[in-house]
Amino acid sequence: MRLAELAHPRQDYAYAFLDAFAKRELRRRLLKAVAIPGYQVPYASREVPLARGWGTGGLQVTLALVGPEDVVKVIDQGDDQSVNAANLRRFIARMSGARTTTDTALATLIQSRHRIPEEMLGPVQILVLQVPYPEPLARVEPSFARARELHADAEYGQVWLGLYEDLVRYRTPTQGADYPVLVHGRYLMAPSPIPRWDNPKLHQAQHLTLLSAGREKRVYAVPPFTEVRPVEFSDVPFEVEDQRGWADWQTGVRHKFMTELPQADGDCRYELSDRDYARKRAAGLPTQPTYYNEEGRFYHPGYLAPRTPAERLERLLHGSPDDLPA
Amino acid sequence: MAYVAARGGEAAIERAEALYRRLLGPLDPGLVKGLEQALPHLLDRVMSEGSLYAPELAALALAQTGGDLYEAVLLLRAYRTTLPRLAYALPIEPEVLFTVRRVSAAFKDIPGGQILGPTLDYSHRLLRLGGLQSDVPPTVPEPVSAENCDFEPQQVPFVADWHRQNGLMPPRPTDPTPGPAIPDLTREPLLFPAPRAQRLQALSRADTGGVLALGYANMRGYGAIHPTVNEVRLAYAEVRLQHPATGAVFSAGRVRYAQAEVLTKFRPGPDGKPTLELGFAASLGWNEVKLIAAAMLDAAMDLPEPHPAHTEEFVLSHTEPVEASGFCIHYKLPHYVTFGSDLDALRKARAQAVAEQEASRSAEVTE
Repeated sequence: MRLAELAHPRQDYAYAFLDAFAKRELRRRLLKAVAIPGYQVPYASREVPLARGWGTGGLQVTLALVGPEDVVKVIDQGDDQSVNAANLRRFIARMSGARTTTDTALATLIQSRHRIPEEMLGPVQILVLQVPYPEPLARVEPSFARARELHADAEYGQVWLGLYEDLVRYRTPTQGADYPVLVHGRYLMAPSPIPRWDNPKLHQAQHLTLLSAGREKRVYAVPPFTEVRPVEFSDVPFEVEDQRGWADWQTGVRHKFMTELPQADGDCRYELSDRDYARKRAAGLPTQPTYYNEEGRFYHPGYLAPRTPAERLERLLHGSPDDLPA
Repeated sequence: MAYVAARGGEAAIERAEALYRRLLGPLDPGLVKGLEQALPHLLDRVMSEGSLYAPELAALALAQTGGDLYEAVLLLRAYRTTLPRLAYALPIEPEVLFTVRRVSAAFKDIPGGQILGPTLDYSHRLLRLGGLQSDVPPTVPEPVSAENCDFEPQQVPFVADWHRQNGLMPPRPTDPTPGPAIPDLTREPLLFPAPRAQRLQALSRADTGGVLALGYANMRGYGAIHPTVNEVRLAYAEVRLQHPATGAVFSAGRVRYAQAEVLTKFRPGPDGKPTLELGFAASLGWNEVKLIAAAMLDAAMDLPEPHPAHTEEFVLSHTEPVEASGFCIHYKLPHYVTFGSDLDALRKARAQAVAEQEASRSAEVTE
């Protein structure tokens, strides 16, 4: 017997790039994050072979979780083919040997920038969101040290004041994406720059969502079946993007999040942002149930305020439906 | 439809990188060795910001990126983070430093003497255009050797120790923190207020340009601390390790090491009596500009109420080269989902404004 036969074959990098110490640290932080929904857990955040700000936080979480049996999907703005998504997917596969997919239904681990897929995620799926700004208080308190104190005291008055000032000035909230949410009635959380359309998908979801900011070194989580509520006044309800008149120019699908494509003639086209869902719809393939149905109704009745007079009348007559999964 | 062009996935990525490499030319050991010999100061900068003292790897990183500093630093950082921490070196003491340059602005002369050493400080900054002409014989400087140089690296005390002896500054802690107990910036998150060790680590690997910008702002008067450069020192340091079995101290090699100290106006010390405040910065590799600015920032951060641009959180968060450069270039990534969401908010606000104007107009008509 020779020593070479007993030794592990030479590897220039550890499995899934991060060494065992980095993985252990991150997994411990993730457990803490899951245990305290919405609380930002600081972590060392190692450098990875990608520029900071390009999904290094999400990548570290994915690398700490991925195993050879996993099926990984990576999207950027809803698109698997976006170059940075392709690059991340290529790196994860190269370092872990995991299989990759574009199909939301087949993925066990989904890393995403700025979107949550339209098809509902199930209990065995994990969504990893890349986060540029983990601190929802940054707009009112730029110092992270001070913001941590405000979180400790649940002192979120400045955020409500900001929303009130928006309403006074513009009669509507001015926040586009990354609309702040309150998690399980305790921590204010930046949901990452997902459109408001995707915010409700975090509420009482079946899947685990992990959010990770590599540059800012914070990880936080929305565990399954957690209350996630937008910051809203009871008489000025939170609203998702109004795309009710928009239809995908290729499939005619409506009531899913769309991307606006300006045309040379000054007009514009609309395209489904979730490209793999669009592919399945265009090919007539079966799809999973979606968070919003074909009429644009969210699957937790009553979570979003009614937008049409008919809906409002219905709510007036029959009251607000219970806020449990349908 | 620019972002459709930025799609195409893996094939596009591979071709873009291949094109970059073709424009850069071949990468070979000769090129790397040449860079290592020709550009020591650039290597020093990359090594200190990359926080990995490895001249050969720094030269490789520079060659591989065509001299793009931020890319080179990122390469080193991403490599170093995979390396285990094998041992902790003993602290650097003046008696084990081979000092080649050391100047103090605080005194005309200092114990051990002012040592000008290798510097361009008093050179005339004239381009030596002869270096471009092939018919002019190249000027080959004579290599430094014991025969032709009366200068020897010196073991000289720190100027700050003189202040301490004279009671102008609190004494140095006699029992330094053991290596494993030092909070390690690369293994733990940086939280504020930061332990002093992490602050000095962060300054040591901070971006030269960023440190200079914030330090210069301080020097010009934004929360100025009116400092005096107590000492700037360039040296070779032995990396001293203690043998785990025998306990014997041995040198694992020599590194280029530099440090700067600045003095600020006196303030009440720990014993209540006024004492000199010391700003300090040190780095692997020689980079005087960065160290002087960093030492001033260290002192400025200690003020009871520092200028907003000189608080610890502001300075350390914004001079991190890998994070700052990476986030800056990330804005090239598509942001059409977030922009679309912003547009939705804008359209709604405009619709509200129009509705209000119409309401007030109809109110006028009614009147």
